[in-house]
Amino acid sequence: MSHRILRVAGVTGVAALALAGCVADVPAPVTSAPPLEASGSLLDAQSSRIIDETMAELGAADDERDTGLMTDRVGGDVITIRGAEYTLANADDGPAPTVLPDEMQAVYVSAADTWPRTMATVSVQPSDDDTPIVMLWVQEGIDDDYQLREWAHMIPGATLPAMPGPSTGAAQLGLEDSSITPTAQEAIEQYVELLLAGEGSDLNDAFAPDTYRERLFAARETYVDAANEADGDYVEKVQPDLDASFAMATADGGALVFAPLSITSSFTVEGATVSIADEDEPLLDGELDDAVTHTYRDFIVIHVPAADGDALPGVVAAEHNLIKVSDS
Amino acid sequence: MSLRTTALVAGVIGVLLLAAGLIADAQRPPRDVTPTASVDTAVVVYEPEMIAFAADNRIGFSGDGAIVGLTARPADAEAWLAEHDATYVTGVPDWETLSTDVAEPAPSPSPTVSPSASASPSEPEPSPSPSASEGESAEEAEPVDLLAEGSQDHWRQDWRGSGRLSIVASEVPAGEVLVVVSQDGTPLTSADLALTRDVQDGWITPLIWWGAFLTAVGVIALVLRFIDLRPAQAKGEKWIADRQRVGEDDEPTPGSRRARRAAGEHLPEATLEDEDSAPAPSAESSPRRAATAASAASVAAASAPSSSAPSASSVSSTEDAANTDADADDHPGPDGEEERS
Repeated sequence: MSHRILRVAGVTGVAALALAGCVADVPAPVTSAPPLEASGSLLDAQSSRIIDETMAELGAADDERDTGLMTDRVGGDVITIRGAEYTLANADDGPAPTVLPDEMQAVYVSAADTWPRTMATVSVQPSDDDTPIVMLWVQEGIDDDYQLREWAHMIPGATLPAMPGPSTGAAQLGLEDSSITPTAQEAIEQYVELLLAGEGSDLNDAFAPDTYRERLFAARETYVDAANEADGDYVEKVQPDLDASFAMATADGGALVFAPLSITSSFTVEGATVSIADEDEPLLDGELDDAVTHTYRDFIVIHVPAADGDALPGVVAAEHNLIKVSDS
Repeated sequence: MSLRTTALVAGVIGVLLLAAGLIADAQRPPRDVTPTASVDTAVVVYEPEMIAFAADNRIGFSGDGAIVGLTARPADAEAWLAEHDATYVTGVPDWETLSTDVAEPAPSPSPTVSPSASASPSEPEPSPSPSASEGESAEEAEPVDLLAEGSQDHWRQDWRGSGRLSIVASEVPAGEVLVVVSQDGTPLTSADLALTRDVQDGWITPLIWWGAFLTAVGVIALVLRFIDLRPAQAKGEKWIADRQRVGEDDEPTPGSRRARRAAGEHLPEATLEDEDSAPAPSAESSPRRAATAASAASVAAASAPSSSAPSASSVSSTEDAANTDADADDHPGPDGEEERS
């Protein structure tokens, strides 16, 4: 009996040992991560979802003309500017808010691994009289939604440079990144200096012509002449907002620089009462006497070409937004 | 060693082989295995290396509520995971288990476990989470939608399930991180990975068949050992002997084949040419003509009144026929003339 048990046990053991050697080893682990198929921060589906949600939120606010409905997807200067537009639109025969198309002809996404990040788009042409609109979204952190912060109509005749596609994304450049010349911060500061100095400045030849500064200079000349006639004074201040400025690399090694500007124009006369245009009346805060100050929140997009090119930096999109009129 | 002994030995070997084969078949390791790991966090992470390792296999997760699988760029996933407790699946050390590594968020308090989370609609907690038993304060924690509390802009793809979520690893884009989240914040219970391994068991089935064959041989030999076959064997041997025995004194049965053989029927017919006579009319070249000539000769012999061979037997040889024919030619008669016409 015991021999039989031993025999069975032996056969079982041999079979078990044989089977133990029949199973292949666990495959070796993969030690290196495969390359990312799309390294841009946003795929088309993601950017489309962001745009759709933004336009839905903006549309809801436009319908109610209530900036309080701008919560997640719309922020920054858009709330301020849209608030002024709602104020103007609520007046009799007031202009309608700027039409921001929800259909885009180009979307530029960032390739950054850090924050803040930007996404820029170029809309289709809103109407025959308007040029396409460049819009800027900003994401401050991983837990924050991309927010529409700025928009600007393209300068007539301007062209935007080629940008990297969503599969790679555009490098998010720091304002002092020296890979472009001038740097983004230098471009902003030099352009602001040009705006302050006027077309007689040496910097006027450092930037390609654009209608934005031409109109600004023309308006300034009008105000200055009026002030001189009334023994008054006209002071215009232009300040960049570097904290809200961003730069994205173009495909050819240049950059698109997005820069909001704050402009105040103060007009003062002696012994008289100033008046303003009727369409600006709804934005007046206070009662006009001998001084008036117009406050603008502008947004410009400067194209800094690649260093090895002969092209000049130039403003390719700009928006001049009156947001406030005060009596001092 | 006799044939029967050899068969018995083969039968014993066959029994052993059959037993080994059946035992091996019963213990045959499965090809499809599912290494598993227990999980105690609401977030489980597969990094790109593990996704590449899983290849076309299926990744599974189990939990109590809604489970969402999401992918993101590594940098984005890392930033999001920095604020959440997460279990990273790091490898497959053996065919039974997954190795894991639990990572806790940075020292800053995580909003996921803070009772002062945003005022999402409070729902009755279906069951206390395992971590709630550690302290009374934890019992006050309410389910928090881990995804709704922050932006979802960085998530690229998503899969959703309830209680169980299964994803084919190859559907996760290369290089992206797979983050699986229990949406209400309760810990997931397990993570598994279905794998198919190579088992070299092709020898088991032949072993069983050979064992069965040899066993059958042995059984047959064993059965024959207990059956007395001598009467049947003797009968057969007698039959064979009868078939082979031929006595010299035995006369063949008239008309049998043996009798015909004895009479020389099997011998071939041969024609001997007469040197003095003309060649036989082509008996060698044409058997049909030879037969015709023989027939004509016999007719001539029968009609000739002075035949020289009246006692010719009924069995006449070709030679006789030829000679008769020749005689007929030498002595033509009226019948011969008539026969020619």
